[in-house]
Amino acid sequence: MLEGVPVLSLTILIPLIGAFITFSLGKYGKYAKYIALAFSVGALLLSLLIAYEFATDPSPSATGYHSDYQFYEEHAWISTLGINYIVGLDGISLPLFVLTTLLCTLSIIFSWDTEKRPKEYFGLMLILEVGVLGVFVSLDYFMFYVFWEVVLIPMYFMIGIWGGPRKDYAAIKFFIYTHVASLALLIAIMAMYFEAGLQTFSMEAIAGVSVDFAKGVQVAIFAAMFFGFGVKLPMVPFHTWLPDAHVEAPTAGSVLLAGLLLKMGGYGIIRVAMTSLPQGADSLSVLMAVMGVVSIIYGAILCLAQTDLKKMVAYSSISHMGFVLLGFATLGEVGIVAGVFQMFAHGLVTAVLFMMCGVVQHKCGTRLIPQLGGLAKRMPIAAAMITIGFLASLGLPGLVSFAAEFMVLYATFAKWSMWVFVPIIAVAITAAYYLWALQKSMFGPMTDKIDTSHLKDVTWYEGVPVAILIVLIAVFGVFPSLIFSKITPAVEILLRLYGGG
Amino acid sequence: MLEYAWLIPVFPFVAFLLIALLPKRTLWWESGAVYAIAGTLCSLVLSMLVVWSVLNGETLTTDTPKFKWLEVGDFSLEFGVWIDQLTALMLVVVSIVGTLVVVYSGGYMREEGEGRRRYYAEITLFISVMFGLVISDNYLQMFIFWELVGLCSYLLIGFWYEKPSAASAAKRAFIVTRVGDIMFMAGIIILFKYVGSLDFETLFSESAAVAVPTDMMILATALIFGGAIGKSAQFPLHEWLPDAMEGPTTVSALIHAATMVKAGVYLVARSYPLLIHAPESLLFVAVIGGVTAILAATVALAANDIKRVLAYSTISQLGYMILGLGAGGYLVIYANSPGGYAAATFHLMNHAFFKALLFLCAGSVIHAIGTNDMRLMGGLGKKMKITSLTMLIGALAISGIPPFSGFWSKDEVLAAVWHAGEFDSVFFLLWLMGIVTAFMTAFYMFRMWFMTFAGEPRSEYHAHESPRIMTVPLMILAGLAMTSGFVLFIGDGFKGFMESSIEGLLHGAEHESLVDIAAEIFTDPLTYVSLTLAVVGIMLARKIYLTPGFDRSMFSRGFNGKLQRALENRWYISKFYDDFAVKVVYGLSLIADKFDRYVIDGLVNGFAFLGGNTGNFIRRLQDGNVQRYASLILVGICLLLILVLYILPWGG
Repeated sequence: MLEGVPVLSLTILIPLIGAFITFSLGKYGKYAKYIALAFSVGALLLSLLIAYEFATDPSPSATGYHSDYQFYEEHAWISTLGINYIVGLDGISLPLFVLTTLLCTLSIIFSWDTEKRPKEYFGLMLILEVGVLGVFVSLDYFMFYVFWEVVLIPMYFMIGIWGGPRKDYAAIKFFIYTHVASLALLIAIMAMYFEAGLQTFSMEAIAGVSVDFAKGVQVAIFAAMFFGFGVKLPMVPFHTWLPDAHVEAPTAGSVLLAGLLLKMGGYGIIRVAMTSLPQGADSLSVLMAVMGVVSIIYGAILCLAQTDLKKMVAYSSISHMGFVLLGFATLGEVGIVAGVFQMFAHGLVTAVLFMMCGVVQHKCGTRLIPQLGGLAKRMPIAAAMITIGFLASLGLPGLVSFAAEFMVLYATFAKWSMWVFVPIIAVAITAAYYLWALQKSMFGPMTDKIDTSHLKDVTWYEGVPVAILIVLIAVFGVFPSLIFSKITPAVEILLRLYGGG
Repeated sequence: MLEYAWLIPVFPFVAFLLIALLPKRTLWWESGAVYAIAGTLCSLVLSMLVVWSVLNGETLTTDTPKFKWLEVGDFSLEFGVWIDQLTALMLVVVSIVGTLVVVYSGGYMREEGEGRRRYYAEITLFISVMFGLVISDNYLQMFIFWELVGLCSYLLIGFWYEKPSAASAAKRAFIVTRVGDIMFMAGIIILFKYVGSLDFETLFSESAAVAVPTDMMILATALIFGGAIGKSAQFPLHEWLPDAMEGPTTVSALIHAATMVKAGVYLVARSYPLLIHAPESLLFVAVIGGVTAILAATVALAANDIKRVLAYSTISQLGYMILGLGAGGYLVIYANSPGGYAAATFHLMNHAFFKALLFLCAGSVIHAIGTNDMRLMGGLGKKMKITSLTMLIGALAISGIPPFSGFWSKDEVLAAVWHAGEFDSVFFLLWLMGIVTAFMTAFYMFRMWFMTFAGEPRSEYHAHESPRIMTVPLMILAGLAMTSGFVLFIGDGFKGFMESSIEGLLHGAEHESLVDIAAEIFTDPLTYVSLTLAVVGIMLARKIYLTPGFDRSMFSRGFNGKLQRALENRWYISKFYDDFAVKVVYGLSLIADKFDRYVIDGLVNGFAFLGGNTGNFIRRLQDGNVQRYASLILVGICLLLILVLYILPWGG
């Protein structure tokens, strides 16, 4: 059905066209949201079609299939430098690809009442979508890096223009921080390029020789990449940009930041670093595991101390992304697959949580937990939604995160035996901070610290995106194999580098 | 018949979906109670059919139909159904008590208005996942439902969420049981690594037991028991259960007395094929059970809240069952006898009936006069004849007075513990604790009954007997409390029935005839010791709480009142946890927060300060002018391109 159609390029192109139209609306700025929604839905439908057509066990002779990637496209771009336009999808990128189009669409719906500079707001969101989609499909380092940087710009503006009181500080911190990380990434990419000496930026071509690099070189390049991607993930101790950025960012910005931008870090580690530099990964796997475990525990403990609902959710992301890192660090099939799944799961769950923080902020005018209380009485639907979101995030079976957490912990035990008891403590702490926050904000007697006389429940544009996400969280919680069956073959190919798979 | 057993949890689940999703006006009577009753009745009927098949010797433990949940390489997890005698026992308990409690709720929850929809939705969901738990054929599936029953318990304890105490109790219950759940999860992860499967069929085979190193087997079984410590409220994680009494009394009866808290006991019983390879774990199980039994009984002596008396008594009785299972494991290993195992599971069933009865009677009393405080009751027996009589039956059953059910099973448990003493003398000490507990149980139960129903009213109240919809379930449960002990002597006898579920572990055990069992009970002097103690306990309670003008100040004077204060403060265990949570954990998190803000972020900002001039420059550029940003980006891209196109190629 999709044979011969450059469907990945189309998916990226649709929001790009949408962005140009949105920017050039002139005085018709109030229609920006309709345009943005139409184009993002277009991209979403196309990505769903791709997911539907995506073959778990593709035949190597199929059109658009090229060495383990599907919907593959390759065009020469700047041939003097060996820069090509190469895109393709495999089981690792597919879930994140669909997650991107989904979260962008839902974020646009959620921002339906944005009054301040709507053209720029919705346009930037579409640009962000282009950037993130590009990162997840690029198979050329140059393209990858360009898209990587493209993502930064709209996010910077979203925080800097539509953000909270300390938006300038947060925006510049976000920009500088992630930029320093990008620099490390750039150096690593350049080092690979010159060390390979193939006069091409193609990831596959470079990976073909980089796996045989001397161990020292591999470790050095891997370390630089690990830093570059780790800041994005974020891992402790390079995480402090995240809470500041989230606290100041508008709700949709937070959803995309936590739901998609953090995934770029995890995706980079597996797609770029681990695929190209097996010996580097092997030598640094303990470091990765330690960083992962520290992030899990430290992030969870920090959550306990937060009084701002959104800041708590932001710190919980650090803890949950630590599971991704820990899963990857096991260098085993179960751990890596679970890590990829955890990225997808966290994307869905954290979007619910940030949206609900936005609802609370919007209705009550504050997110400070001590100011809230008893909201369930007046906002039963919102309370139910936030409860489900919290339960999903704390790893309740039947919801999406459980399978990932269980498998990561299993893989950790299989590899490092008793050390599993360190990250497992965080599972209890996670329950503690979420339930504490629920009790103090939603339950108990109605607060008298804020004016509750006009409290209303969620509006349609807030409720619908969250409801869709909750349905997906439950569906993939009960039937996780829908996703696992896609991820597993791709990870098995990757693991051939590590003597497994 | 057994191949349809998977439908048992489906009926209440459908009821849950209907109640949760249907428009308000189609909920009919009592905001959805009809659907709840219909759903639980269907599963009651099906459960009984399944139990009947099991009684006829059918089981479903090999080649069970399976559903693949997920598969990653060699790592694969499947769901299935497992029906044996132990499952059948749990089905009996959950279906009967579940149905009766839902019917009773039709009267008890009448005044809740809108809230009833949430109540019935949550309680049918609970019944559904509880069935799911007991028919699971592997540890992971069990763990999943294990967590889900915990969720329902959380939601129902917090049913009156506007009450700060209820919201707080719900949270505590979830967090404390989660500590146990994590141990359970760690235990199954260990087993999974060594055996490569979590199916009972594989795990319980001899080859699996060999695959696990001895120390790992001890650790894994002890950790799995950790799950039971949390769920069945065993020391030291028992303090959530008395707090859980903040929920509606029906919830206390169903979840916190008859079913969910039994899940831990069920888990230990289910894990017998593993536990017998780790006698160290069995001893641990027995000691925890014995300590819990006596500790909780002491607190019940001084409680004044009628539900808290029952809550501590539940903890204490659960301790009995756990103790019985620990001792039973020793008997299986060293004496090839299923005695302790059968006794503990027997007590599980009997206790479910009489404790649900006691709770529902307490609910009837609370429904009538609107308070939990026994000091404000008294003399209710005249106004509430059915409630007082049925509660008396429950109290006699739990105190171990023949012919009521508690006598048979409690006696069997104590006999098993005594018998296990032959193999490890610790069990003699545990037996002593058990027998003291039996005495205290009789005392506090009748203290409760006398304070509630006998004597003269101690406050102004307008009591009335509860409506028929509430009293009929009471009478049915009272009937069960009187008769369920006799299944010991029906058919093959209860012991013979339960024995077949652990047949594989007993090598050449001879089957005891019913006459032997009866003779053993009535000729054993220990039977008369515990019976005498129970009677003395009841007489003492009567003396102290029924004699007008009896001077009870001796309790507050003894040990300078320290003892009474310690009991009223529940041995300060709850306070210790509060202090630990607030001072240690929360304190640590505050320190971490400061560390994060000033040290880690401080370092980052310090670096930024080093490049201060650059920072200032950038800050001046950042004025919100999008055009300027765009042009800067363009310049940046050009510079980058120049770098990549013309400068870098010479470098390589």
